[in-house]
Amino acid sequence: MTSFDYAASPDPIRNDLADAHRRQWQRIANTGTWLTGAQRVAVAEETRWARDCALCRERKRALSPFAVDGEHDHAGVLPAPMVDEIHRVTTDAARLSQKWFESLLEQGLSADAYVEALGVAVCTISIDGFHHAMGLPVEPLPEPNDGEPTRERPDDLVEGEAWVPMRAPKGLSAELGLPAGQAPYVIRALSLVPAEVHAWDDLSAAQYLNKQQMMRFEKVRAIDRSQIELVAGRVSALNECFY
Amino acid sequence: MLRASIEYSGSGGQLGGITEGSKAGDAGIEHGERLTAFADAAVSGDPAALATARDALREAAGSAVVVDAAGVIGNFQRMVRIADGSGIPLDTMVDTMSSDIREDLGLEGFESRRLAEQGALAKLFAPVARGAAMLGLRIAGRRGRR
Repeated sequence: MTSFDYAASPDPIRNDLADAHRRQWQRIANTGTWLTGAQRVAVAEETRWARDCALCRERKRALSPFAVDGEHDHAGVLPAPMVDEIHRVTTDAARLSQKWFESLLEQGLSADAYVEALGVAVCTISIDGFHHAMGLPVEPLPEPNDGEPTRERPDDLVEGEAWVPMRAPKGLSAELGLPAGQAPYVIRALSLVPAEVHAWDDLSAAQYLNKQQMMRFEKVRAIDRSQIELVAGRVSALNECFY
Repeated sequence: MLRASIEYSGSGGQLGGITEGSKAGDAGIEHGERLTAFADAAVSGDPAALATARDALREAAGSAVVVDAAGVIGNFQRMVRIADGSGIPLDTMVDTMSSDIREDLGLEGFESRRLAEQGALAKLFAPVARGAAMLGLRIAGRRGRR
């Protein structure tokens, strides 16, 4: 069976979108840098559990999400700190805190695994979000592939600019074809696990704009740049995202 | 980016659609009201409202617009979580260029407004830098439309 077969959609879906979604699903199934293929697919699955999690609903209603204790409804595959990461990122990301992030590290989650899980989770949320907006059922998750994580850490990491270590702008900007030394924080955010940045880049090019199109303002989609940024800004505001 | 694209296009659009959604009407942007209604319904999780908003947008603007808007919605469901989940600050240039509209739109009250504190020098030169950048975009837009 072909994944992401959009033939049944009442609105014809661009081939480049379907292709990008297939590549992301394949990538999620593959062994990662710090997580196995099975763990990565489990991360994707956990984002779907989070949407129906009773604890997450209760925390979302609470004045402070850290005032409510309990256990998440979860798939039972991943360690508790990673389950908490994925559930909170999925359901209440605007109220995350550095103190909470550090508490996950104290519970044994590495910053590297945190960033890789974040990359896989947001990719799944994004593609599921597209399906939801289009009125399409979510795609079944892929079968994981075997293999051992590479556990390779970049050697140009900078600490202290964000909660997570990030690569310095110079090397990353060269790798991504950005102006020399100019990699914005939102691109560097996942760079502790470089494969997740490249995945971000690939999916953004199909769902939003590629980096070159971002720097220009010509119309390249059925909606022009003002319309694109209106939708982007509105979604960010509804998520109470300051950025 | 919305303000920059408005300056580039010379459309006279407004930023109210970001915080007020469809209540702001089209806000000077073609199909603006239907686009924000679609975004609102997609984020709200109400399937009936979403179907209504999607149908309305399709009827007014066509299927390709629905697909492209859904792509942007999916993309920014991801971007906000990357930013919030990694604890990144605002880039200095973005901070400088957007300080006035953040105030106007009430974004300073968001919980995720925590790491990005502008330096005194950036605050001092922000209006000049903004003015120069917007002028540049208007000129580039006029050239692009010729």
